[in-house]
Amino acid sequence: MFYDLNIPWSANDSNLNRTLTFLHELGYTTIALNHTLSGKLPSDLTCPILTTLPNLPSDLTLLRRCTLTLTDSHSNARLAQLAQNYDLLAVRPIDEKTLQQACTALESVDLISLDLTVRLPFWFKHKLLHEAVKAGKRFEISYASALHGDANARRNLISNAAQLIRASRGRGVVISSEAKTAVAARGPWDVVNLAAVWGLGQERGFEAVSGECRSLIVGARLKRSSYRGVVDVVYGGEKAEVKKKEKEKEADAVNDKAKKRKAEVLDASNAPVVSKRQMKRQQHAAREAAKLENASGGAENGEKTETIPKA
Amino acid sequence: MVRIKHRYLLVNILYPDSNNVANGSWKRPADDVPYTVQFRRPTPDRMDSKLLARLVRDGVSELFGDYGSGMIAGSLQIKYFSPATSTAIIRVSRDHYRMVWAALTFATHLPKPVDLSCVIQVVRVSGTVKKAEEEAIRRARLSIRRAAAIAPTTDLTLGGVGAIDNAASDDKFSNGIEDLDDDDGDDDDDDG
Repeated sequence: MFYDLNIPWSANDSNLNRTLTFLHELGYTTIALNHTLSGKLPSDLTCPILTTLPNLPSDLTLLRRCTLTLTDSHSNARLAQLAQNYDLLAVRPIDEKTLQQACTALESVDLISLDLTVRLPFWFKHKLLHEAVKAGKRFEISYASALHGDANARRNLISNAAQLIRASRGRGVVISSEAKTAVAARGPWDVVNLAAVWGLGQERGFEAVSGECRSLIVGARLKRSSYRGVVDVVYGGEKAEVKKKEKEKEADAVNDKAKKRKAEVLDASNAPVVSKRQMKRQQHAAREAAKLENASGGAENGEKTETIPKA
Repeated sequence: MVRIKHRYLLVNILYPDSNNVANGSWKRPADDVPYTVQFRRPTPDRMDSKLLARLVRDGVSELFGDYGSGMIAGSLQIKYFSPATSTAIIRVSRDHYRMVWAALTFATHLPKPVDLSCVIQVVRVSGTVKKAEEEAIRRARLSIRRAAAIAPTTDLTLGGVGAIDNAASDDKFSNGIEDLDDDDGDDDDDDG
């Protein structure tokens, strides 16, 4: 499984199909199409990338990614909104302050991608990078600009990449192409070799195009779809048209380990006076269950369930 | 017995660029030729092993300077090159094969008389020539089978490039990470 998480996307790109097929030929199975934004965020944040393109190999997975160049300071809330519309959110810091922000302050960021073809005025620090990696963020090295750029771009890329690899101790690094055309793409093992020449050992290099990418994607998905990254309901066992009250009672039953389900339903329907504490407990349980069901996307009801379960 | 140990890189040359014209000798493929066949089209006959060796040497010199050139000079040899299948087997000394590999990765065009934009992919690194050759044969077979499966009725001669229908007989097959494995070997030259 090889991942290429940075293929620039632009609307009306006639070569996209070719590029994607070529990447598939080279061996990549999951590709993220990258939409770049910079400066002030537009008010409409919906993702313009279509992931269902015709004539693509069937085992190629497409993801949608957004890269935001951090020129202004952005609030985390807006970024969180932006993140919801894409599968991956990347930022491009331009100086040390924005790098610091990206690594520590901004939590909805998944990927930190610097432009490594320019001379960076600062050094990478072990601590900062380690903190970001601990929070689940990854650093990206993009190689295409060095292939087709001039000698300076190449030199800068090599120097910055080596520095990044050293400061991150090889963990938390992801390598991707940023290939605008198919000619700039390279096979995964070729990329691993390049990283090896730049200082990233063979195993880590392999991880950089496979395992790390996967953990990044899965982590991003969990951030968006699961309840606090712990519970991700795949199938909530929803029943289609169920009356509101009954559903709640069933929810109670699910959370109450002691009693049998049927008994509980029967009991609850002629439930006599319920103590305040019991009531509170039941409400809480109903809320929890509803949250789980909502999180799984089966929110046809979408109703608040803070009603008192009394007859 | 001190022997110089080598690594043999099995290399594919791919052509993803639709705008390649190659000084007029390269015809545009018809529209119904599937991309996968187009990418693995044959190389023009003007390209030969000498040009490929030149490509590698210039690449290493540009990336690694005089040191690199010196280190690989003695052992660099193009063992096999087939324009029809766009495949080559390159021999390098074992200690410096990564340099040559990197130079191949950084290559964007074939050298001057040919001047096609290309992508070079190293498909196998082996300690012996035999294994590299076997792999080349295996891939060629697989790609023929694959091309035949994709387009049994399409005209696969790519609009007249090379009347040989070698358009299909190209290597392929990275359906798995299986073979893209490096170092076949610390089983160095057993035949010597």
